[in-house]
Amino acid sequence: MQLYSPTSTAPKRKAFRAPALASLEGMRLGILENGKLNAEEMLNEVAALFVERHGCTIRTLASKRNASAPAPSATLVKVAQEVDFLITGLGD
Amino acid sequence: MPAFSPRIHEAPDDLLAAIDWCYEQGWTDGLPVVPPAVDRVKAMLAVESRPPETVIAHHPATGLDLSLHAAAVNAVMAGCLPEHLPVLVAAFEAMDRPEFNFHGSTASTGGSAPLLVVSGPYADEIGMNADVNLFGPGNRANSTIGRAVRLILRNVFQMIPGISDKSTQGNPGKYSFCIAERARGNPWPLLCAVQGYPPGTSSVTTFAGGGYCNVENHGGNTPEQILGSVADAMANYGCITLGQSVVILAPEHMGIVAGAGWTRERSQNFLFTHAKRSVSGMESVGKYRDREYDTQHGDGAHTLVEKGFVHRGLSPDDILITMGGGDAGGHSCFIPSWSRGRGSILQHAPIRPRS
Repeated sequence: MQLYSPTSTAPKRKAFRAPALASLEGMRLGILENGKLNAEEMLNEVAALFVERHGCTIRTLASKRNASAPAPSATLVKVAQEVDFLITGLGD
Repeated sequence: MPAFSPRIHEAPDDLLAAIDWCYEQGWTDGLPVVPPAVDRVKAMLAVESRPPETVIAHHPATGLDLSLHAAAVNAVMAGCLPEHLPVLVAAFEAMDRPEFNFHGSTASTGGSAPLLVVSGPYADEIGMNADVNLFGPGNRANSTIGRAVRLILRNVFQMIPGISDKSTQGNPGKYSFCIAERARGNPWPLLCAVQGYPPGTSSVTTFAGGGYCNVENHGGNTPEQILGSVADAMANYGCITLGQSVVILAPEHMGIVAGAGWTRERSQNFLFTHAKRSVSGMESVGKYRDREYDTQHGDGAHTLVEKGFVHRGLSPDDILITMGGGDAGGHSCFIPSWSRGRGSILQHAPIRPRS
């Protein structure tokens, strides 16, 4: 028998990884925290390690109001101009 | 634009073999599905006047779209009849709004399931159950519409358990979580009327439900006693957050509440006032957060918010109350939100008449 596929007919979105940084030394670091319990504390600890080990500078802290939704594009555009790399993660 | 051409697969002609074949494709929720044969899908789509390629929901995380065609395929697989499709379509039109956040609510460890509450005459028209055994089992429309929601999340939006659906413990509602609001004997305006739809228009309300909590009270005889036990369930330490709530009052309980002249608004105010925990109590279980307290008590705080307490929700409007279930029994229920804050807000949409 002939069956229709139950999956989406939309084309898969092409995704690209940003090129890796050649070095972390002296880079500008941003933090994107998701508003969950302990997120800011955990990310600040991680950022401190980059400062200590690679001489990074912490340039910006951005927050998501909604932990489970993608970061607003305006937030990402803004931090992209201010930092060389961004760290994020769940804190729960 | 290329012509719309959904994929067709050749499956075994034997029905039982075709069911097994669907399992092999990874298309099921664990239960057998009805193989989505081409003719059956076309019959399903005949109730829709819009083109089958019409997109009714979009997944922000993957860019995947839900077309009417894909909705119909999954509806067939769930066991739906064609007249069930308009409810399913309206549900996804509601869930597609960013405020519902259906990606987050279906991917999260929280393990919510979209609860559908169908209100208005269409529920009776398609034989939905608003009465005894409200949450199932037993009624085809309730069971299969709810199941089709899950199959779409799985097959179209690729919310695969363990991969993109990271629910810690899952939720029985993830198989199906769909009810009708009971109109018979309901003393309050139906939800579809409160939502502002014209007479004769039905609606579906969608809510990212975090589970099901039975509220038993066979001894209470006053609104304060009945709603007091509901408020206590809403404020239990495992559930209390700033999230929204759904409360389905059993007819016995509704008789006591509305029989004493209480309106929906008065009941919402009572529940919001009493569904609360002290700050010290919240601290004792490690759930107190300044940020959440400030959200509830800061500028624009509702007048019923009490200093030194954390209430469930931000205002009485965050509590949806209606009636459902069989005539006998002092069993209502409270359904907590997946969202602990404002990460998912319940939505509603009109059910379009069949073409």
